[in-house]
Amino acid sequence: MSKSMSRSKPTQRGGRRKPFSFPRIVVPQHRPRRFYGHGIPGVDPQKLRGKLIVVEGCDGSGRSTQIQMLMEWLESSGHATTQTGLKRSTLVSEELNMAQNGNILSHTTMSLFYATDFADQLENVIFPGLRAGRMVLADRYIYTLIARDLARGSDLEWLQNLYGIALVPDAVFYLDVSPEERLQRNFAKDYALDYWESGMDLGLSREMFDSFLKYQAMVERQFQKLHKTYGFNIVDGNRSPEEVCKELQRRTAAVLAGE
Amino acid sequence: MTKTFAQLGFPGRLIAVEGLDGSGKSTQIYLLKRWLEQSGLKVFFSEWNSSELVKSATSKAKKRELLSPTTFSLIHATDFADRYERQLVPLLRAGYLVLCDRYIFTAFARDTVRGCPPSWVRGIYNFAALPDLTFFFRADLEVSLNRILEGRPQLKYFEAGMDLHLSTDPYESFRIFQGRILEQYLAMGPEFNFMVIDANEPIEVQQNVVRELILNRIDLAAFERGRPATTSR
Repeated sequence: MSKSMSRSKPTQRGGRRKPFSFPRIVVPQHRPRRFYGHGIPGVDPQKLRGKLIVVEGCDGSGRSTQIQMLMEWLESSGHATTQTGLKRSTLVSEELNMAQNGNILSHTTMSLFYATDFADQLENVIFPGLRAGRMVLADRYIYTLIARDLARGSDLEWLQNLYGIALVPDAVFYLDVSPEERLQRNFAKDYALDYWESGMDLGLSREMFDSFLKYQAMVERQFQKLHKTYGFNIVDGNRSPEEVCKELQRRTAAVLAGE
Repeated sequence: MTKTFAQLGFPGRLIAVEGLDGSGKSTQIYLLKRWLEQSGLKVFFSEWNSSELVKSATSKAKKRELLSPTTFSLIHATDFADRYERQLVPLLRAGYLVLCDRYIFTAFARDTVRGCPPSWVRGIYNFAALPDLTFFFRADLEVSLNRILEGRPQLKYFEAGMDLHLSTDPYESFRIFQGRILEQYLAMGPEFNFMVIDANEPIEVQQNVVRELILNRIDLAAFERGRPATTSR
């Protein structure tokens, strides 16, 4: 030990200054894990010690904001955190973007492209994070992919087999926000609607505004159906970001405590 | 799907060839294509793993050895879906003879050997109809191995099945890998009505058998250029 350090000790002990304190960090409780289907060959789910927390919600539901806030809270509470999301794999995200811009992929191809991207993230971000005992925060998960494909006429059974590779998360928070509110938030962000988020490939309406409303309602209906199968934690997202975040924190704390 | 294109009422017909690397199937389907084209028929040829867009992702991934059995399987399924939806199905609707160098059975065999659950792989490909004719070129394992190993001594990582860690020697790994794929092919042959061609025979002998079988099974006159597509057989 260096001299300067040993010398500083008496001042701390004798002085009026209190040492920094912190609330005891909750050590996450292990719970049995499983995959939705076969899982991934060679991956033992019980070794994935961290927690997988998913935030789902339609476009404009405030997901990214909430994930950012949740991550800051988790880290300041002493939990190592990793973020993941859709279309982020080094494997195919570039090609996926190209395909979307050129607008040339048919439905099954698009589905499988997204599934490849998801599998790559699962194996290279989510699993390593969980194995290392980290909190993995997912900005959307298979539910968005399934809901979008169902809105495009895919078969649920086919999708469930495909995504049988997915790990069952520790919590899925679904941010429930009214379509009008989401529309306003979308405009407030970009002053424009996105081609895919408006479901323009479906030919619902030639006008983007109408198409957005129709498409988002379709996706939302699919989410409601999926809720019956997967049991999301529905969070009222029409409130202020701080209020929503408080609720997410409370519910995440419960997950960490193994409740 | 458990139906062929004919059973689904398509005017076109799909002919697939399957077999190990080095079984000579590509040569055979090429000769078949030349014959059909020169007979004035509407023919289209499609190769496994050849969709332009998906290929860029696949080749990048293979070069960097980024693929796991799951992503390997999914990226090939994406490639297949792209060709299936944009080319195969429209051409079969238009009354073409579509020739495929490898079809879904390649995925069934390879992905299963790589450890993917067979029911998962089959489930993913169940959007695809079955070929109207599937030729399986069966050569002795040693014959196909030698054809590959003498012609092209540099084996690629995934091609040799190096990702399975069967052996640190690429040649040894390739042998074991191909042997396992052959087992898978042989096991699924009866289920999918493979027409087994003896690939140890001279090229000409095999091509005679192939052409003969096609003449007996498909009314080629219906595929002449300039004829409108008919939905009947």
